[in-house]
Amino acid sequence: MNKMRLNTGWVAAFAACTAACAVTIGLGAAPVHATDKDPVDPAPTLKDYTTLATLPDWSGTWTPDMTDQVKQEKTNPPPWKPETAKQIKKMYADEDAGRPFEIIDHCFPTGMPSWMLITHNAFEILFTPGRVTILGEGDGNRMRRIYTDGRPHPPDPDPSFHGHSIGHWDGGTLVIDTVALLPQAFLAVNEAVGIPNNGDMHIVERLHLQGPDTLHDDLTITASKLLTKPWVTTRTYYRQRARKYEIVEGVCPQGSFIDAKDANGNDTFAPITFHDNVPVGSKSK
Amino acid sequence: MNRARLEVFLAVIVCTFGFSAATNAHHSFAVYDQTKTETLKGTVKAFQWTNPHTVIWIMVQPEGGGQPQEWTIETTSPGVLTRSGWTRKSLNPGDRVSVEFHPLRDGSHGGGLEAVTLLDTGQRLQAKFGAAEKPGLQ
Repeated sequence: MNKMRLNTGWVAAFAACTAACAVTIGLGAAPVHATDKDPVDPAPTLKDYTTLATLPDWSGTWTPDMTDQVKQEKTNPPPWKPETAKQIKKMYADEDAGRPFEIIDHCFPTGMPSWMLITHNAFEILFTPGRVTILGEGDGNRMRRIYTDGRPHPPDPDPSFHGHSIGHWDGGTLVIDTVALLPQAFLAVNEAVGIPNNGDMHIVERLHLQGPDTLHDDLTITASKLLTKPWVTTRTYYRQRARKYEIVEGVCPQGSFIDAKDANGNDTFAPITFHDNVPVGSKSK
Repeated sequence: MNRARLEVFLAVIVCTFGFSAATNAHHSFAVYDQTKTETLKGTVKAFQWTNPHTVIWIMVQPEGGGQPQEWTIETTSPGVLTRSGWTRKSLNPGDRVSVEFHPLRDGSHGGGLEAVTLLDTGQRLQAKFGAAEKPGLQ
């Protein structure tokens, strides 16, 4: 499949770009604490599981308030540095002209903090002993692991789209500290306006219920390469319990293919023809 | 050019121009002219129920005759559509439909869906992006 080869090429290019940028920019996240060498997690106990019952109820599916996302974007924009603000201004102009800069068209995870800031899709939150896990839909690998077992950040974590997160409970508020984000992870205010953090980004979140079925994420984002000062903003999500709101699989690259049959009559995928990111022909159907 | 040099070359290209040359499916709907809404009648050729965007391929008979032309009408993800009352079987090949959509700006045969009506039943389906902005929805 030519399309698959193309994608492999892009992944190779991205990996090479990651290496190149790592050398030239340096990767954020200095070690926060020293850790024991090769720590081992103990098996969870019955008490560990019963303790989960004392945490706030965050079950169900959470859907974003997209109207409020736009309101926040307009009324509380990030304190961009002047040189970054020039890029942002051009992105808004390009978006208005119908030439949006595509922040998520590569089908990589949207990453942090953009997932929490600009998502159109739902997520769910799971509690297990020592960990909170946030699972999303939309790009196939939207998952945050937040360690709540008291560990520090490792001395030199591998950078990733979602970073390394540790959390602790402050009453009913989960306080999350995230470092080790890939420098390519965007700080985005919508799907067409955002800048790679370029390294050295640090995110602190206070995730808490505001009323019985409304979740707030108060974020403080420090991105020294882009911002003149930490950006404090908030996002709102609503709880759904109807089963039709449950998370579904969302494998982003699947959208580049259409159902087809191979020469032996087996079900397979065939690439769709694209033009300027828009599918223009089901040539293989 | 050996493989290592090729990868460095590609890295430079990507670092310089970003990913705007990529041709993947997850893009902003700002590519469609949201200030205009057009309507077309045609027959469903295929309905692609996949992330990140679902696609309706429609064959449209041009006014004045000629061969039917294929149009591509995109909308949001299966998850969002399910919550708006759609299923993967909402549209089937051969269905006669009327689509309301925001057109591509260059006049190409494509658009972003506003609503689709099944002409044989009158059922009208919409992608309700903002429909989940309160808790406890049914």
